[in-house]
Amino acid sequence: MSNNFIDYILRIRLPIVLFVAVLSFAITYFASRSERDGVGYAPEQPINFSHALHAGQMKIDCLYCHTTVEKTRHASIPVVSTCMNCHTIARKDRPEIIKLTKYYNDGTPIPWKRIHKVPDYAYFNHSSHVTKGIECQTCHGPVEEMEKVSQIKPFTMGDCLSCHRNAQANLPYLKQVNKGPDNCWACHR
Amino acid sequence: MSENFDNKNHENQSDPNYWRSFEELYKDENTLKSKLDEFKDGVTDDFEIDKNLSGLSRRKFLALLGASAALAGAGCSDYRDKGEIIPYNKKSEEIIIGKANYYASTCLSCENACGILIKTREGRPIKVDGNPDHPVSKGKTCAKGQASILDLYDPSRLQTPMLKRGGSFSTSDWKTTDQEILKVLNSDPSKEIAIVTHSIISPTTQKLFDDFKIKYPETQIYSYELFDNFIKNSAWQKCYNQQNFPLIKWNEAEVILSLEGDFLGIEGNKVEQVRLYSEKRDIMKGSNFNRLYVVEGNLTLTGMNADYRLRLKPDAQYDFVMGLLNEIILNKKVSQISLDNNSVSILSTFTLDTISKKYGLSKDVLNSLVSDLIKNKGKSIVYAGRSLSEKVQIAVNLLNETLGNTTLYNNNEALINSNLTDYIGFEKLTANINAGKVKAVIHFDTNPVYHLPAEFKYWDAISKSTVITFATSINETTALSNFVLPINHNFESWGDVKVRTSFYSLVQPVISPLYNTRQKEAVLLTWLSGDSKNFSETIYVDYLKNNWKSTIYPALNSLFDFERYWAGILHDGVAKINEKQQISYNFSQVALTQLDNQSESKAGYTVTLQESYTIGDGRFSNNGWLQELAHPVTKVTWDNYAAISESTAKKLSLKTNDLIEVTYNSNKLKLPILIQPGVADEMIAVDLGYGRTNSPVVANEVGFNANILLSKNSSLSRWILTGASISKVNGTYEIVSTQDHHTFDDTLIQDIHLKRNIIQEGTLSQYNKNPNFIHEKKHDAVNMYKDFEYKGVKWAMSIDLNKCLGCGDCVVACNVENNIPVVGKDQVALGREMNWLRIDRYYSGTPENPKVSIQPMLCQHCDHAPCENVCPVVATTHSDDGLNQMVYNRCVGTRYCSNNCPYKVRRYNFFNFRDHFRGGYQEQASFELVMNPEVTVRSRGVMEKCTFCIQRIMEARQEATKKNTTIKGTDVSTACQEACGTEAIVFGDMNDVESKLSKYRNHQLGYVVLEEINVKPNVTYLAKLRNTFSEEV
Repeated sequence: MSNNFIDYILRIRLPIVLFVAVLSFAITYFASRSERDGVGYAPEQPINFSHALHAGQMKIDCLYCHTTVEKTRHASIPVVSTCMNCHTIARKDRPEIIKLTKYYNDGTPIPWKRIHKVPDYAYFNHSSHVTKGIECQTCHGPVEEMEKVSQIKPFTMGDCLSCHRNAQANLPYLKQVNKGPDNCWACHR
Repeated sequence: MSENFDNKNHENQSDPNYWRSFEELYKDENTLKSKLDEFKDGVTDDFEIDKNLSGLSRRKFLALLGASAALAGAGCSDYRDKGEIIPYNKKSEEIIIGKANYYASTCLSCENACGILIKTREGRPIKVDGNPDHPVSKGKTCAKGQASILDLYDPSRLQTPMLKRGGSFSTSDWKTTDQEILKVLNSDPSKEIAIVTHSIISPTTQKLFDDFKIKYPETQIYSYELFDNFIKNSAWQKCYNQQNFPLIKWNEAEVILSLEGDFLGIEGNKVEQVRLYSEKRDIMKGSNFNRLYVVEGNLTLTGMNADYRLRLKPDAQYDFVMGLLNEIILNKKVSQISLDNNSVSILSTFTLDTISKKYGLSKDVLNSLVSDLIKNKGKSIVYAGRSLSEKVQIAVNLLNETLGNTTLYNNNEALINSNLTDYIGFEKLTANINAGKVKAVIHFDTNPVYHLPAEFKYWDAISKSTVITFATSINETTALSNFVLPINHNFESWGDVKVRTSFYSLVQPVISPLYNTRQKEAVLLTWLSGDSKNFSETIYVDYLKNNWKSTIYPALNSLFDFERYWAGILHDGVAKINEKQQISYNFSQVALTQLDNQSESKAGYTVTLQESYTIGDGRFSNNGWLQELAHPVTKVTWDNYAAISESTAKKLSLKTNDLIEVTYNSNKLKLPILIQPGVADEMIAVDLGYGRTNSPVVANEVGFNANILLSKNSSLSRWILTGASISKVNGTYEIVSTQDHHTFDDTLIQDIHLKRNIIQEGTLSQYNKNPNFIHEKKHDAVNMYKDFEYKGVKWAMSIDLNKCLGCGDCVVACNVENNIPVVGKDQVALGREMNWLRIDRYYSGTPENPKVSIQPMLCQHCDHAPCENVCPVVATTHSDDGLNQMVYNRCVGTRYCSNNCPYKVRRYNFFNFRDHFRGGYQEQASFELVMNPEVTVRSRGVMEKCTFCIQRIMEARQEATKKNTTIKGTDVSTACQEACGTEAIVFGDMNDVESKLSKYRNHQLGYVVLEEINVKPNVTYLAKLRNTFSEEV
């Protein structure tokens, strides 16, 4: 094999191959970033529930439905009977409410699609955040404006930590807030 | 640095040589060599690529990896599905998602019936702890109680009624079985209905039986326990004309002499006894310790905690007690009562001298025993084990009477007699069945085919009757039954319990029945009503409440109406009643006529049959957590064996794991031997409860059924068999113990580990003279790191070795709390058991009279943790509250950390053990419910270790955050700490100088293990003090 050929491979072909590989990786990586983090994920739900109507227009407090958010680590999705507090009377004839009533009467739970999820090995606690005055919208976005809920922020460890390490800057609406713990076992155990 | 490890500094010490096994004592080359390696040879054999991955080369593997990555990249086009969130349809009021509820109930794992609090999450029980309001157990439970939660979710539970038709079982339904059984019950009223049950400890169950007898007057009740207090009680009856042996105020005894009595381990209500005993072992309350003498054959948990232990064959106990009586009454002229001439002449035939010579008992110890007993008249107690013969029991009662020790009997409270049936009763039953006089035998959650002596041929007899067996899972008796009826677990049942005067405790269900099971009492009620239709879910609770309303409640003069009163006692789990009584003890001299001058010992071998520390009478043999919990003394798991002394083994030319055949009264049993230090010569000790022949998958082929040695004709008692013969037979059987691996890293110089102060101990008099005696020798610790300043809380633990008895209750509590899998015998053999907390046991002294030292060993959460430096992926790091954190999702399984851990407390998931053990047994759906949802379930390839119950710390921290306060050290207690019956474990904040933890940590007896390597552990131990009569250990 001539020196020229090796020279060609090393100086021209190899860099080109490497460049193409790195570039395509970089483009895919950044382009698919939000998708991988789930940002923008807005699945079809079994019932077309509108947060914009309930939380926005009618100004029902988040806690009316997400009852445990101040008590435990789960915000919890409302039990079907909570919906029926109003809908045994209100808008009984609408197709979505008829669906809802059927779930209720059958005694079957509603299989809501999950939108926000941290991995099983991360133990996020809603109550210790919410009771400190952190608004739901800080992580979940303006839910009260959403016809169909979608994920706004990436729920990555980096995202958690950026706030934990620099809480005051990220939560300017709070008068005073301590920074959150940033040791591993704060979330993983 | 090298000076630190130099042996010379320590050579002048009088430390005993600690040894963990005979191989180590005799410096067996292979054992010593194996200590050099963190992982035993063969540990990684399963992972050789050639064997398992069909020779896939690295290049091919990488190619495959690339291709699959490319495919995955090309294939992904949408968001990942994140599953569903399914809320309740209608939620019960009590449930707050994510918050635990606690319900008071009563543990029915044994007849002691301790009060428990069951922790439930989203309606499913996940943990059992003691009920602090319970007057006896006071917030503690034993290992069996803790582990019983696994039985609730056991997928091999019987799930539907079964019927035997033409020799094989078919599943049925309750309606059919009820109807068919009613037909049998209503047939020929001249024939007997036999109900075979365990102790009846529930007043309402007793009433149900009485009602049953009214409807079916031909009913007879038989009750038994594999281990009972029959002999103790009948001796007591003869001496004091009272039914039951009294409760003992252990906390007031200055001197305790226990003869063959394992009161700290398995006899009586252990939970209460260890608490009372350890009250006099509390260094924080001053150094007024009790002194424990133990005279026994096999080395038991009580024996290993004794200040002085004498090894003596159980059949020589009579000679011993009589010798002691002779010495005290005739020689030392101490007596509260005057004996007649006959008794005196009998006594004078036994002298302590001859016995000490004959059995090689130390003269010094005997002298000090006699003088201690005399010096502490009225403040000492002599306790004879329940297995000893009536003669010995009477002699011991006399001894206590002589010494005025009756003051230590509790005269305000008494046990309730449960009137068990003796072997004669069962013999009659068998005869009646054989004669066709019994139309139905109802086994009320009992397994007599397994428990009764073989010579009754009970299994043969019951084929002549209709057999109805209530059971939670298959057993030897269900196999021979016509009807097998699945019953509710303890946690699915209602009930009431009365085991002592002065209070009742309540049983309430915490989950609705998982399967098509019914409570056994409810089934009887349905039969009483005459029609299967009358069953309802509330049939028994209604009956229970009615019984309370009509018989118990009116006598209480409660201020509340019945419903409120009932709700109150259900909440508390306990109903205290005013039943104060004054019992007086009047010794009746007539009993002494039972004493004679005949020695009990007999030529040949003595066999003692003992209750298993873990699996009870066999009812827990399908419980993996209990099977895997190491025996507190021998550290053997998953087996029983014949414990034998070294010299007897030599005489028979036996080695550990050799098989022997034991012959007693023509009953033969083949089982392996284990050479056990401290066992008396010419005897073997065997645990019962193993060797189940018809059992679910976990108990399959575990151990040997020693019940076949039980005999109605055994001379001394059911559990002490004299004159047995032993012969060696061909073959070996591997016994597996956790003893000789995961030991300390002692590779530097062979001798050094004997002197590394892992165990530090001394005597009480040494301590009184110089409280700082363990810190006399100083290490020049070298520090390579800058010290981190821990502001706020810094977590630490202290373990008081004066109180730790080595029972292992904490280990099970940890298993339940932290989702620790069962690995199985084969994996324990390779040193892969997963317990985060282990109890190390060291012997020192001679194999004949070993001194035992115990030390719970768990992650020490070192400030300068050696594991943290070596992790290539930073999966283990330090937190600013002093915890050594292990992050599973980051771990790639290099095992460097374990290699570098000086304490050997890290555990590696060589497999997904849930998948691996017994063909994925633990992966079955029902076991998902037992998991603690606050703790990650680890998978294959991940390192894990003690977390100081970080889930509890975080919960307390989050609660504090919510309340705008900061977390305090007292806000958290770990699972092991909660479980410890003697409060030996203290946990808290070391930066809070006022805290209990700081007092323990800074106590003069406090030390850290391997101080010289200066890793600064956050776990400290309080050195054990032996209460001996001289300064020597």
